[in-house]
Amino acid sequence: MTSLRDMQTAVLEALLEDRLGDAAPFLAPPEPHVGGRLTIHRSNILTNFSNALRSTFPVVERLVGADYFRQIAADFQRKHPSRSGDLAQVGMEFPNYLLNLHRADRFRYLSDVARLEWLIQQSSLAAHHAPFALDRLAHVEPKDYEELRFALHPSVRCFTSPFPALAIWQSNNADRDARAMTPAGDAPHAVPPGGAIALDSGPDRLVMLRPRLHLEFLRVSAGELAFLGAIAAAAPFAATIECGRGADAEFDASAALRRFITAEAIVDVEARP
Amino acid sequence: MTTPVVPVVPAEQAALAAGTGIGLRAAHHTAVMSTLPRVAWFEVHSENYFAEGGVQIECLSEIRSRYPLSLHGVGLSLGSTDPLDRHHVSRLKRLVRRFEPALVSDHLSWSSVGGRFLNDLLPLPHTEEAIRHVAGRIVQVQDVLGRRILIENVSSYVRFTAQSASRVQAAPLEEWEFIVAVAHESGCGLLLDLNNVFVNAHNHGFDWRDYLAGIPVPLVEEFHLAGHTTVDVQGIRTLIDTHASAVSDPVWEVHRAASRRFGAVPTLIEWDSDLPEFTVLQAEARKADLNRRAAHDLAA
Repeated sequence: MTSLRDMQTAVLEALLEDRLGDAAPFLAPPEPHVGGRLTIHRSNILTNFSNALRSTFPVVERLVGADYFRQIAADFQRKHPSRSGDLAQVGMEFPNYLLNLHRADRFRYLSDVARLEWLIQQSSLAAHHAPFALDRLAHVEPKDYEELRFALHPSVRCFTSPFPALAIWQSNNADRDARAMTPAGDAPHAVPPGGAIALDSGPDRLVMLRPRLHLEFLRVSAGELAFLGAIAAAAPFAATIECGRGADAEFDASAALRRFITAEAIVDVEARP
Repeated sequence: MTTPVVPVVPAEQAALAAGTGIGLRAAHHTAVMSTLPRVAWFEVHSENYFAEGGVQIECLSEIRSRYPLSLHGVGLSLGSTDPLDRHHVSRLKRLVRRFEPALVSDHLSWSSVGGRFLNDLLPLPHTEEAIRHVAGRIVQVQDVLGRRILIENVSSYVRFTAQSASRVQAAPLEEWEFIVAVAHESGCGLLLDLNNVFVNAHNHGFDWRDYLAGIPVPLVEEFHLAGHTTVDVQGIRTLIDTHASAVSDPVWEVHRAASRRFGAVPTLIEWDSDLPEFTVLQAEARKADLNRRAAHDLAA
């Protein structure tokens, strides 16, 4: 296996680093134009990667412009090459990469917008689940309530940011009219397309989910966020209430439960672990 | 290792053979669902439907309820010297179970090594080592899926050499000899991309007629047709497989010749960049149908 593996290792390195290097002996025939033709593969690789990144992070691209986006896509690919044959997996490290790149400049909010876009994709691709069947609770004895374990819809993702990331996303989302991306009504920070957004008009504390085909956003309190986080960690009901109250003394567990069951964020319950 | 061959629904196989299919891209989902155009069958990229749920999957379910389907992968990296990505194969298997496609295919190429992926379909050297290696991996995939797959010849701009010192061949194999050897060793079928045959014939200096003549008729179960672009690389005219334009006249000629040789093989129109209106793809499909009919009349 040595020679085939040696060839693949050298060629992969040459294509990622955009220099012939150790790949030269593996090219046939060794004519000058052959090295030039390797750049066609290099260009395909960058274009495919860049397109995949752009389809996951369309708003980041719009914010920084197509030229700069392609430039950072090339650098990001060198540092974080794809680890999968599934292009939807490209970009998991992109929010952190942007954080390091623009930690303290005018693009310091970019990483959070990228993280929001990554979660939007994850939510959009998650499994379907039927709404909560209320008869699941009918046979539970009141004494067992504390031990109930609620379950979230597979598409639920929580997001927090010191910046108004959702408003930035909504006002720059070219797909804002697309069926799948229609945000739900209760996003009070929404601004008209192209409107100016003050960076200090955050923070964002959101839950996103895709109960049917449409992505929805819910703005939540600190207590609600802690409550959902505890449910996601499979904590029993009593402990999830404690988490909610720990984050927010005003937290109302029965109101939160009603809200999230109605929104189809909570879709199931188990009486025993 | 044996590969059980699961027959597809005969009616669907007949539908595939009877008319030209179209490669379905997300940008055309709405147009297709709202107009339900007359298309013999659709082919989609398997990885685009690896999601657990959501709009894309729902859309494919609706398409599948109305049209025969072919699943065409771009991410198996069959020629890689890494271990086969079992997770990828199991996601493909889930998709195959759910949508029961008439055909399942991927490429005779490699994209990854050391866990890093290049998201391009790179050619393998035409060596005995590569034949044994890639055929073994095709057999693994066929075993997991429980059915035969097709492998597609890729377009390439360079050729790699990687010869084990212990096993020197007398003369390097031609591309078609390599593909046929892989098919025989693995038991898979061939998806012949006629644009790739033409592009490689130009770039590597062989005659596409020799390529077609070198492939046994029963191996070929699908054709792909797409557009290419001509560029100048260091003073040398080079063809690039861009899928960004209509099928070129010389490639239609290859299609006519291939239809005469291989018969009523399911033919697919592919278009990936600078996507036109869906009706343009239908017009391309009609041209392919005419070629196929002409070849049939000639034979009759």
